Amino acid sequence: MSRSDLQPLSTLPPGTRGRIVRVMRDLTARAERLAAFGVSPGANILVLQTFPGIVFECDQTELAVERLVARAILVDVEQRG
Amino acid sequence: MSCPHAIATRTPAPLLRLRSHPLRIALVGNPNVGKSVIFGRLTGRYVTVSNYPGTTVAVTRGRATIGAEVCDVIDTPGVNALDGPLSEDEKVTRDLLQGGGAELIVQVADARNLRRALMLTSQIAEFRQPMILVLNMIDEARARGVDIDIDGLAAQLGVPVIEAVATEGRGLAELREALAVPARARAAGDEGLAHTQWADETARRFRTIGPLSLGRAQEWLGRAVREPLTGIPILILVLYATYLFVGVLGAQTLVGVLEDGLFGTYLNPWATAAAAHLPIAAARDFLVGEYGLITMGLTYAIAIVLPVVTTFFLVFGFLEDSGYIPRLAIFSDRLFRAMGLNGKAVLPMVLGLGCDTMATMTTRILATPKERLIAILLLALGVPCSAQLATIMGILGGISFAAVVTLFGVVVFQMVFVGFLAARVLTGERSDFVMELPPMRLPRLRNLLTKTALRVRWYLGEAVPLFLIGTVLLFGLDRIGLLAAIVSAARPLVTGVLGLPPKAAEVFVMGFLRRDYGAAGLFLMARDGALTHVQAVVALTVMTLFVPCVANFLMIVKERGLRIGLAILTVVTLIAVGTGAVLNGVLGFLHVAF
Repeated sequence: MSRSDLQPLSTLPPGTRGRIVRVMRDLTARAERLAAFGVSPGANILVLQTFPGIVFECDQTELAVERLVARAILVDVEQRG
Repeated sequence: MSCPHAIATRTPAPLLRLRSHPLRIALVGNPNVGKSVIFGRLTGRYVTVSNYPGTTVAVTRGRATIGAEVCDVIDTPGVNALDGPLSEDEKVTRDLLQGGGAELIVQVADARNLRRALMLTSQIAEFRQPMILVLNMIDEARARGVDIDIDGLAAQLGVPVIEAVATEGRGLAELREALAVPARARAAGDEGLAHTQWADETARRFRTIGPLSLGRAQEWLGRAVREPLTGIPILILVLYATYLFVGVLGAQTLVGVLEDGLFGTYLNPWATAAAAHLPIAAARDFLVGEYGLITMGLTYAIAIVLPVVTTFFLVFGFLEDSGYIPRLAIFSDRLFRAMGLNGKAVLPMVLGLGCDTMATMTTRILATPKERLIAILLLALGVPCSAQLATIMGILGGISFAAVVTLFGVVVFQMVFVGFLAARVLTGERSDFVMELPPMRLPRLRNLLTKTALRVRWYLGEAVPLFLIGTVLLFGLDRIGLLAAIVSAARPLVTGVLGLPPKAAEVFVMGFLRRDYGAAGLFLMARDGALTHVQAVVALTVMTLFVPCVANFLMIVKERGLRIGLAILTVVTLIAVGTGAVLNGVLGFLHVAF
């Protein structure tokens, strides 16, 4: 397995936990300010569902986003165990 | 103003002082944190409360007595930010605070999400007004394992911090006390930090998150309604249950009781008998004739539409408060994207089933002007309001399931088609889909009943007078012969193109006033056997797509201007008649009889 676990939210399977490392501004210009929902570096996330939309818990808020937005959210994935 | 040290010394500042106007208290906070509930608790005034963001789209004011002083309390639309690029309702709130519209700010926050709340606290602090922080829904936060050091946080911010469960009235007494000792908050600006960084650090210092202890059932339900495998069967079940409650219990059983029983057996014969004593024939007709105020106006409003509206509002309120509706956005996001919108548009669309006029106002929660315009157009075009839905179910339910499917199939297809075109013709952009899903909750019976009662009263207050005015208008038109002229002028269109009986033209005239009034007219025609099944389907389809009611039209003009209002009116009418003509042709060609 690769050591670097930095992955976009859009590729993570349900049940994955991690911490947001970066939110790419240029890809989320059309999205409402994600930071206002608490989606910013440092926030803990848990992926809940990936189809038909991506649903994840960010701190204590449940959010649904489209794939395009999820692609811009880089997550440091927590190792299982 | 109050001094910043008030909290430290704990000496309540005197509230009673000379002012040129009452002390103004603004309730500010993220969407769906319970500002309206606290507003209601402070002022005793009920404002619509639901479990999804965007219920309050305009500023509401009320009076409250705090201590010995009468204060103005201002409920504001929820905001995610007060700085940087803002949505329309966020600007409303910012302008209020910036323009010195309030002397005191009460920030209402969802205790589950301290970080997000603090981000806003930091921005509110920039307005340099005394404030108080209320951490609402503290019970749900604890259930999720969130523990907040209230005293530490209050000391750090320098403002009173209060824990509350507003729906149960907990924390309200403490809030009233704290209103005497507000203070300016120390936040990011005072420490030379960015809002995000400050909020991050402050949240980390004063909050610990333990293991989740969310109710099993709540968690299970939250998952079941959003996973496609279980969510879609649940959606079908919800629609079917709604049909049973509104379409069968409301539109058939209750309408039967009221119309045949109350009006048919008692009121109308009594009124006719009483009117027989009137010496003038015209006056008799005015009350109990074909277009009589009692026999037509009141019968429509009370016997046909009221039962359905009431049962619908009950179901609708239940769904609103449960937190179910926003979850539909997950399933509908792709479809809405094809129409230049995103999943968030499910809120105004579903609200439109309650009342298109109110839903038109709710389009303010959409992020871009293009999205708002498309949503307003689609609401005006295809979303039938509760009263109209009622009559549709009443008529088509009596024909066949295929008839119901045909009507909704055509209407939905038309909406998608028009939305698809509008997305390409109109300039501007759609925004990306990001939506908060509120927790699933068992609705509180009291809120549900209050809300339904309020809406029914609103229906009686707004719709019934219009029904009566409509009846008077029809009576007048009939008397001076203009009705016959309109009917004969519209005859080629109504009978030729749409294949309907000439009398249907009258119903469309009524539909201009209110779509449900027109639909109620069709209801009676269908029941009297004046419409074949095919005619009923065509007429209802046209009526559903037809021009919005007067109130909705005025709201469109208010939101988007007269030019766009008239443009929407024209487009919608053309589409309605065009679709009816094609549908009539296709059904005739295929020899469908339902």
